[in-house]
Amino acid sequence: MIEKVENKRIRLLINIFLAAIFVAVIVLLDTKKIGDDYIRRVLNLTAIYTIVSVSMNLVNGFTGLFSLGQAGFMAIGAYTVALFTVPLQVRPNVFYMVPQNPIIAQIELPFAIALILGGLLAALAAILIGIPVLRLKSDYLAIATLGFSEIIRIVCTNAKSITNGALGIKSIPEMPTMWVFFGVAIISVIIIYLLINSSYGRAFKAIREDEIAAEAMGINLFKHKVMSFAIGAFFAGIGGGLLASLLATVDPRQFYFTVTYNFLLIIVLGGMGSISGTVIASFLVTAGLEVLRFFDEPLTLFGVNIPVFRPGFRMVIFSLLLMVLVLFFRNGLLGQKELSWKVIHNWFNRRGKKKTGKGGVA
Amino acid sequence: MKRKLSLLISLLMVLSLITACGQSQDSGTASADEDVIKIGVFEPLTGENGGGGLQELGGIQYANKMYPEVLGKKIELVVVDNKTDKGEAANAVTRLIEKDKVVAIIGSYGSGVSIAAGDIIKNAQIPAMGASCTNPMVTQGNPFYFRACFLDPFQGRVMANYAIEQGAKTAAVIMQNGDDYSVGLGNFFINAFKELTGDENSIVDVSEFQVNDTDFNAILTNIKAKNPDVIFAPSSATTAPLIIKQARALGIKSLIMGGDTWENPAIIDVAGEDAEGIVLSTFFDENDPATEEAKKFVEGYKKELAGKEPIIPAVAALGYDAYLLIRDAIERAGSTDGVAIRDALRETKDFEGVTGIINFTEEGDADKNIAVIKTVENGQFVYIDTVVVK
Repeated sequence: MIEKVENKRIRLLINIFLAAIFVAVIVLLDTKKIGDDYIRRVLNLTAIYTIVSVSMNLVNGFTGLFSLGQAGFMAIGAYTVALFTVPLQVRPNVFYMVPQNPIIAQIELPFAIALILGGLLAALAAILIGIPVLRLKSDYLAIATLGFSEIIRIVCTNAKSITNGALGIKSIPEMPTMWVFFGVAIISVIIIYLLINSSYGRAFKAIREDEIAAEAMGINLFKHKVMSFAIGAFFAGIGGGLLASLLATVDPRQFYFTVTYNFLLIIVLGGMGSISGTVIASFLVTAGLEVLRFFDEPLTLFGVNIPVFRPGFRMVIFSLLLMVLVLFFRNGLLGQKELSWKVIHNWFNRRGKKKTGKGGVA
Repeated sequence: MKRKLSLLISLLMVLSLITACGQSQDSGTASADEDVIKIGVFEPLTGENGGGGLQELGGIQYANKMYPEVLGKKIELVVVDNKTDKGEAANAVTRLIEKDKVVAIIGSYGSGVSIAAGDIIKNAQIPAMGASCTNPMVTQGNPFYFRACFLDPFQGRVMANYAIEQGAKTAAVIMQNGDDYSVGLGNFFINAFKELTGDENSIVDVSEFQVNDTDFNAILTNIKAKNPDVIFAPSSATTAPLIIKQARALGIKSLIMGGDTWENPAIIDVAGEDAEGIVLSTFFDENDPATEEAKKFVEGYKKELAGKEPIIPAVAALGYDAYLLIRDAIERAGSTDGVAIRDALRETKDFEGVTGIINFTEEGDADKNIAVIKTVENGQFVYIDTVVVK
């Protein structure tokens, strides 16, 4: 018993230590002591992908609603940030074809407010669309939400006096620090983690496992579904807003429904119903794609130019890796578990057990 | 077994991360000693615009083959793929600047990705040369972004001019909704046409269609009722033949015109006889090279393309020019400093490119004075006129 308490304390210390290292690395990166803009940019993108993926996992993985509307909610967040943060004096240059709507053309908001507004508008849209659509189940829900996300994109394309249509918007102010992205990512993950472990979260999971049983236990199905959907949309909107500021430009083509598949890929890879799995998978997919650029560069081995190493080859390798991962991890990297010392311990133990069969000691 | 394999995969990924970082750092320092000047190329080689990106890359690589050296050093092209995705484009360009330490950048096909890369290029003070990105916002307010192609306002004006010369009094415009190229060009045509005719009502109809639409009968029936003298329909080479065919099938006799994307054999293949008489503007004509450089290029690149593509894509010619412009600027600057190259680019005077004589405007756009107008006769693109606009 005492040993267990000791163990717990050590683990806590290690956890704190690891968190400190993480913060220290980001601080060092942020103050440009280590790394370069390339690494910073990839990591920022990872943070944004984490926010959107975790929000999608809340809806798809924890509540069991197969929604594909993430790109639409991101678009709402991204456009809100874009519309309200572009400095007033450059707006006429951006809206050179069709002048911006005179009411919006007068408004400039600080980034933080525009970001939250973007999230709230996304959540509002989610509630409006959720009320009719969340009556549907499985495939039908997926189709309806996919359609919704396309509607948002087409509205962005056609509302020229507001969104500048197909030309897109540029000159969105850039953020001076990585903490904007990492801070928001950490806060979002913590909020969703706390939510999932609250009574609401348990209700979400109950709905995922069995709707009828959940209803029988007195859970208001509809209320909880809309809630999960709206919270997911809120964070997707926030993620979209951050993406707009990272890239400094938005246009409707950025939010094709295919974007949603990136996030779907991440949550399936990380495990539907695992936050830590999603975080790990976001990193693997975003940073992994950059790492694989190695395959796009020409390679000369022993004086022979290997012909397959050419631009585009990395996507082949990436798909192969995905196939292997999905083949060997049917439920994603972590399934419905969260990454903890116990999981790591068990993982190595099981490995050890297999080894003991061959004479090794765990 | 599974666990071992998965462990192996994750190990591999981590290792490749480390080696990738380590390697490029090595090469970064090595290139300073070696006699290599690196020029970055970022193009969409996969994804939606993969085809166009590859055509453009072909032109750039051919230029590199023809002119491999500058300042007595070898030029090395570092090609990165931007997947037709803005996030990837931003990453790719940052990688070129930070990891590969390129002195200049060429690209990209498609304006959206170029705009996404714009601010990074500006902050890093690395000059960039767009080949075929026509959206005015690419170079606007960005002293480091230049481009080798003429702009949509110019092209729109050329076509409006031509239409009026042919005696047109009214026009209808068909644009692809959501496509910045099509909408931009269409709008500039409308403005120019109204200005030149001095008649606000000279544009009788403006219609937009959606991506992947295949049935244009509703739009065309509407246009037929208004009976315009010309129909201007800037659109992709997959959509254009459908519009042309359906217009002729409805009995519309108006002159049908398009932009540079129409110079594609696919249009004649699909539209067949209906393509006869359509008019389009383009950057250059391989049968009537504008400059000495163009003659050399057409001859050489034709051989290079033999068996792959029937005609030289205009974007390849632009890619070729983009490379030459950068190389010329490095040569005149006499250094690989970003600001020096930028200043040299600004001072580019009457540069003899494949696509005409090139100067740069204040914004960094190619100030070309020529556009080539072509038509289709007996299933062939035929040169009509080279329009010189002052």
